[in-house]
Amino acid sequence: MKVLIVDDEPPARARMASLLADLGGVEVLGEAGDGRTAVELSAQLAPDLVLLDISMPLMTGLEAAHHLATLDPAPAVIFCTAYDEHALAAFEANAVDYLVKPIRLERLQAALARAQRYSGPTLAKLQTSAPAQRTHLCARMRGNLVMVAVADIDYLIADDKYVRVHHARGEVLIEESLKTLEAEFEQRFVRIHRNCLVAKNRVTGLSRTSDERIFVRLANSDEQLEVSRRNLPALRKFVKGG
Amino acid sequence: MSTEPKPASTPDSSWLPDFCSLPVIVAVMIVAELTVLVILIAPSDESQPLLSRLGTVTVFVQWIAMLCVVVLCKSRAWLQRLPRLHGVLVAYLLMLAITLAGSALAFVLDQLLNLKLTLPAQYQWRFLLRNVALCALIGAALLRYFYVIEQWRARVQAEARTRLDALQARIRPHFLFNSMNTIASLIRTEPVAAERAVEDLSDLFRAALGADGKPSTLAAELELAQRYLAIEQLRLRERLHVQFDLAADLPQDRPVPALLLQPLVENAIHHGIQPLPGGGTVRLRARRQGDGVAITIANPRPAEGARAPSRNGMALANTRSRIEYHFGRHGTLDVSEGAENYEVMLYLPDTTSQR
Repeated sequence: MKVLIVDDEPPARARMASLLADLGGVEVLGEAGDGRTAVELSAQLAPDLVLLDISMPLMTGLEAAHHLATLDPAPAVIFCTAYDEHALAAFEANAVDYLVKPIRLERLQAALARAQRYSGPTLAKLQTSAPAQRTHLCARMRGNLVMVAVADIDYLIADDKYVRVHHARGEVLIEESLKTLEAEFEQRFVRIHRNCLVAKNRVTGLSRTSDERIFVRLANSDEQLEVSRRNLPALRKFVKGG
Repeated sequence: MSTEPKPASTPDSSWLPDFCSLPVIVAVMIVAELTVLVILIAPSDESQPLLSRLGTVTVFVQWIAMLCVVVLCKSRAWLQRLPRLHGVLVAYLLMLAITLAGSALAFVLDQLLNLKLTLPAQYQWRFLLRNVALCALIGAALLRYFYVIEQWRARVQAEARTRLDALQARIRPHFLFNSMNTIASLIRTEPVAAERAVEDLSDLFRAALGADGKPSTLAAELELAQRYLAIEQLRLRERLHVQFDLAADLPQDRPVPALLLQPLVENAIHHGIQPLPGGGTVRLRARRQGDGVAITIANPRPAEGARAPSRNGMALANTRSRIEYHFGRHGTLDVSEGAENYEVMLYLPDTTSQR
């Protein structure tokens, strides 16, 4: 079985590696120290199993598990954490097992056996496994996986059945609906048009052209995004308030 | 202020105040004097000048009141041993008896010396009974008042004690299990480091489990903070850098609440270092400042969005209350939040000289 070890603590990774070596029959493909790297590495290396710590910088294990479930093939996930306050959320995130540290060899063995019988997440489970609010959006570009931090996003534009995600370093397409994104990140984005959400902290003001059309000005961007009449009152209120 | 020695009064038996204490004596005197004023203001025989009657009545009433105070003070221990209802009754009857005896004595003296300060001889019983009736009314009110006050004080004390218990610093359980995991991984590869980690962890938990309100010392607290950071350094490795900057002239033996610094250092790790993939530096600085000690704990502040879910307020509010409780209002905890830095500043004044 091909395994990826993910933990932000080097000693914890070392211990996991030595436990796996003791068990045998396991090939460790690599290690990652945060959730985001874990997802990126998984997309590259296609492990069968990801051993995932929960509390990590950049992206928690819970969110990483959600992104991992969208990979094809999706790896099995076993959470390893020091404290069991996340147990429920972990199983909602479609985990095969949940281990508490310090991990016992026998317990790890049982979890690995369980992972071997695992056959990928079902679609129904996938849809319910989204954590309350992600920190990253996951996109595919020419077959590669790209993670975009939500904090880096300037605006989102609905484009056919995709959403164009414009962020600090470029643009990616994701297969999600603007409506669910709006619901998930309502504190962060404001709707300015039927097809467009803008990051609130990027809005610097509104401008009006001679033909009475209203545009949003954005920080560090020359892009002019048009505001629809319908969304104007709410947006005005936000610009004044902020 | 918190160290004022209280006479052995468990909340349960304290229905009767300590009549030997100054505040109670003053309270009784004030009530007695109010009674005097009520007696004088009430319409009555105006043949004598008000001022001279004020003097006479004051002397008489205060005399009776002080007699009651002395007797109740002396018999308090015995009264408290009686069942509560009996105790109250006996105390009450004692007061009435003292009033009766005191009045009788005053009356007889007055008759003998012929001062005409009380009533004429044929009104002896009227004089005595009126005084006893007055004492019965006011004594009942006063006993009730003291009872309520004592109950209230006992409750406030009990509340303060439970609050303090709740405020005692607790180490996050995560820390224990993370440390155990670190030790488990070190045992094979770095046995010496594992040994040291076990020693550090033992010291920390000895302090945490033994922290039943007994104050620690500044030196011990700084030492514990170092041990805590040493364990975290084993776990986070190069992600955590620690800078200790302690002045040489710190008052090492200065009493401080146990585990005062640990939650703040823990916060610095949890909110400042852990969310940063590259980690950062935790700085602890302690300086003498006048008679007190100023301690600063600084850590990097992750950008918004990368921050750990905030339970920060808890530990800070908790520590602030503990500082206030132990050092009075001169002890302070201030926070300065920069864009990239976070600093907690403590000032612990010298409390030893005030005691």
